[in-house]
Amino acid sequence: MAYKHIIAKFKDETVLLKALTILQEHKVNLVDIYGPFATHDILKKFTRESKLPYAAIIYGLISITAIFGLMYYTSVIDYPINYGGKPYFSFPPMVVIMFLVTILGTTILSVLTFHGRSMVFPGKPTQTINPDVTDDTFYLVVDQNYNPEEIKVWLKESGADEVFEKEL
Amino acid sequence: METTYTPKKNMYLLFAVLVIIGIIATITGFTTDTERTWSNILLNNYYFITLAIGATLFYSIQYITNSGWSALIQRIPMALGAFLPIGAVLMFLMYFGLPQVYEWAQPEITETDKLIAHKEPFLNVPFFMIRIVIYFALFLSVALVLRKYAKLEDENADIKYHQKSRYYAQVYIFIAAIFFSFASKDWIMTIDSHWYSTLFGFRNMVLSMYYGSAAIILMILFLRSQGYFAKVNDAHFHDLARYIFRFSIVFGYLWFMQFLILWYANIPELTVYYYPRFIGDWQPMFYAELFINFVIPFVVMISDELGKKPKVLLGISTLLMIGLWISIYVQIMPGAYGPMKFGFIEIGMWLGYAGLFLGATFMALSKFSLVPKNHPFLEESLHHHI
Repeated sequence: MAYKHIIAKFKDETVLLKALTILQEHKVNLVDIYGPFATHDILKKFTRESKLPYAAIIYGLISITAIFGLMYYTSVIDYPINYGGKPYFSFPPMVVIMFLVTILGTTILSVLTFHGRSMVFPGKPTQTINPDVTDDTFYLVVDQNYNPEEIKVWLKESGADEVFEKEL
Repeated sequence: METTYTPKKNMYLLFAVLVIIGIIATITGFTTDTERTWSNILLNNYYFITLAIGATLFYSIQYITNSGWSALIQRIPMALGAFLPIGAVLMFLMYFGLPQVYEWAQPEITETDKLIAHKEPFLNVPFFMIRIVIYFALFLSVALVLRKYAKLEDENADIKYHQKSRYYAQVYIFIAAIFFSFASKDWIMTIDSHWYSTLFGFRNMVLSMYYGSAAIILMILFLRSQGYFAKVNDAHFHDLARYIFRFSIVFGYLWFMQFLILWYANIPELTVYYYPRFIGDWQPMFYAELFINFVIPFVVMISDELGKKPKVLLGISTLLMIGLWISIYVQIMPGAYGPMKFGFIEIGMWLGYAGLFLGATFMALSKFSLVPKNHPFLEESLHHHI
């Protein structure tokens, strides 16, 4: 699953921002940005659509139907018991359980989806571009999509400290 | 940037017309159905006191959390608190209508009703009036101190006044939270004098902030349409929308918790409160309360992008103003009056009170600089972005 990526190293986030603008003007496929701290302007420019919220809604609907079905089956069809004169099918006590199981099911399934999609799991060897990514440098990772040589030139012109290729 | 608010002359005329409508509605009410009118006076007193307390609680929370984002809009919650003195007077006038609204205030009821006789040391007319005086004395004394320091901060640039405001905001948050929950138990819960709920005061106190933030949003949107507050941006609306979204969840939680425990326990003294509401004639209102205050805001606000659009906020906040009315209506009317009636008396009296409330608010707003001049966080608030 390792592809070659073009990686540019930056010491200054303003320079990175310039490079980002140039690459986005040329519609280059950006993969990721690594940095020591969150920068608002980068977050605003480099937005990525995630489908995870939609998956979460579907998981929530599945969980709520499943738990409602289970409670209805157990308390009405399979084993109806009269508790204090309440009807067999009474909604109020189900609400709390439905609420909690919806949250639980959505959370667990979303976490599994996220990890499955981004290939992160326990025991996976760590893949860092360079140890100093946790220190004070920014890294811009670009997909080698159509004209790698041109991308390298753009990155160098915009002021990247170093441009290299690496399998990630 | 506009720094002072100059209200248009026609606006006060409009408020005066609203108050006159209210007076006409009250007079019609007293000539046709006094019990219903007194219940409506209590309803509207409580409605607008809730908004005032909620807004001032919002104001103090911004101080004790050292919030930077809200410095720009801080004068609005403070101005919304200007109804409190009027509310105090109007609440005190309830003295003349106590037996019409409260069962325990009727003379000689203690002879026939053992439970009310047992509660009589607390639930009697003189002590009830004394408590009203105590509540408002506490609210007003601290609220006026906060107002004074805000004024002083505008006049002299000194960090000392901000620190003083911060100190009194801590005092106010305790006083308003504790005594407003007592007050709502006193004024609303004792209508059904056999029934009690330990959650009741807390629920009403917390939800006052829900409606208080909705009122703040409406004021900001109105002032923006008049050309003020050009600096209020997406991020401010986002923060305000989060207040609404979170409180809608709190509403759903507290509404359901109060209901579920009484439903489950099934004790006759306690289910008597929910019988007319859950099974009887009041059922549509009971569900309308839940839908307007919880389901609709929750579903709409769940999308972050949709929730912070000014038009959506306008719709939801307006809906919440209706929701608060329905919420108090369901809490007061079945016990105080009985049948579900809605007509000119209800609408007219609400309009009258709204005229008073808005008049007091805009008057307070025009006395101050619209944006706090020397607030230490003002610069942060002007450039607020998430």
